[in-house]
Amino acid sequence: MTQRSRPWLPYLLLISALLLLALHEAGVLGPLEDVLSLVVAPVERGMASFGDTVGGLFKTVQDVRELQQQVEEFQRVNDALRVENIRLQEQYVAENQQLRELLNFQTDNPTYDLVGADIVDRGCDIYPCGEVVGQDTNPYLRYLIINVGSRDGVAVGMPVVSSGVTLVGRIARVAPNLSYVQLINDPGSQVAVLLQRSRVSGIVEGREDGALIMTEILPDETVEENEIVITSGLGGLLPKGLVLGQVESVRYLESELFQEAVLRPALDFRRMEVVVVITEFGQSPVEEFVEETE
Amino acid sequence: MSLYFGVPILLVGAVLQSVWLERVTVLGGRPDLVLLFVITWTIIRGLNEGMVWGMLGGIFCDLLSGGPFGLWTVSLVVVTFIAGQPWVHNLGPTSIRLALMSGLGTFIAHTTFLVLMGLLGYAPNIGRAYATLIMPAVLLNFILSPFSFRFLVFFHQQSLQQGPGAL
Repeated sequence: MTQRSRPWLPYLLLISALLLLALHEAGVLGPLEDVLSLVVAPVERGMASFGDTVGGLFKTVQDVRELQQQVEEFQRVNDALRVENIRLQEQYVAENQQLRELLNFQTDNPTYDLVGADIVDRGCDIYPCGEVVGQDTNPYLRYLIINVGSRDGVAVGMPVVSSGVTLVGRIARVAPNLSYVQLINDPGSQVAVLLQRSRVSGIVEGREDGALIMTEILPDETVEENEIVITSGLGGLLPKGLVLGQVESVRYLESELFQEAVLRPALDFRRMEVVVVITEFGQSPVEEFVEETE
Repeated sequence: MSLYFGVPILLVGAVLQSVWLERVTVLGGRPDLVLLFVITWTIIRGLNEGMVWGMLGGIFCDLLSGGPFGLWTVSLVVVTFIAGQPWVHNLGPTSIRLALMSGLGTFIAHTTFLVLMGLLGYAPNIGRAYATLIMPAVLLNFILSPFSFRFLVFFHQQSLQQGPGAL
């Protein structure tokens, strides 16, 4: 084939490419993308599996491998215990604090009638467990590709966590057997958070270089290094209490209205192998205010 | 005829880029395997075949991205359109032409990417993107272009032995 024989082909391809983008934005390409992803998904899974196999062959000394596995196992146990510790701290310290405040409230208001209640229905359904098969090919997005999709009950917006209660991100796009997870350090990600000890609130955003920044911290708030950052559950999009990381440093410019904290992520997103998608989580019910009529 | 091996090469290239090469960063940049392949094929085989490879490679990369479908396709089609223009032949022998177009093509592809993402409301930080991602990627792809050429010229010679055919 020569250029002379089909001079119109380059222009047809240019127009077709632009049309693809336009049709995607119009939302009519979904079924075609799903069909094409059925072709790509097995290749991606096979390649990821092949990569793991080839990687294993390079570890020629059996003892070194066993030792490495043991270290990894201890690391996993350590991570799980650390996260569990944080979760328990979050659960009991915060609960203790709240109960103390309630007790003070009752003492300060002796004429009130109060009824104590537990928050119920925070349980979750069966979670699809996804294996990480690849990273996003778009260098400006920080997404992961996992091998569960709409066939497994996964939908856009669902939270994705790693071992324990560490937040990885949210589902951004779903194919029948693949899902694309927007990581919390993606430049387009925003998560409402709290500092575990001081209960200072803010928003955690991602940056192009993969950094995690907590913004919108009021200037009069005191933020200490190494404080644990957890989801606040505000807005109902994410469960409360999922760990994002720890405060590494705090900066405040007088020209800006808010303080900013640089966070140390709780996870190395590039080394994750398995994640869990939370398909449903209970939220504390918000009662609508109904005006009583006489 | 190049599509018989072009489809598997580009598909495997896109998957490799997603599974392995996304973990490889040198000075913050990553090699773009599919981009290298389509530029190399355009230099070897000309505008039309290069653009068909650009279209296919773009679709495969878009399938492995959570971003808007078509970003890679438009970027690669634009790059191959430029790499296949007659003035590129004046840049010197094939190896020099390929190395220069790999660097320039990477720059153009990423710039197209950034413009389209900006238009679609993603608004990446342009300055940081050029400093930390694009310039290292330009350098990496420039250095890797001879390897891509050695790999694809084998298929080019195979197809010539089997006789010329459409695409």
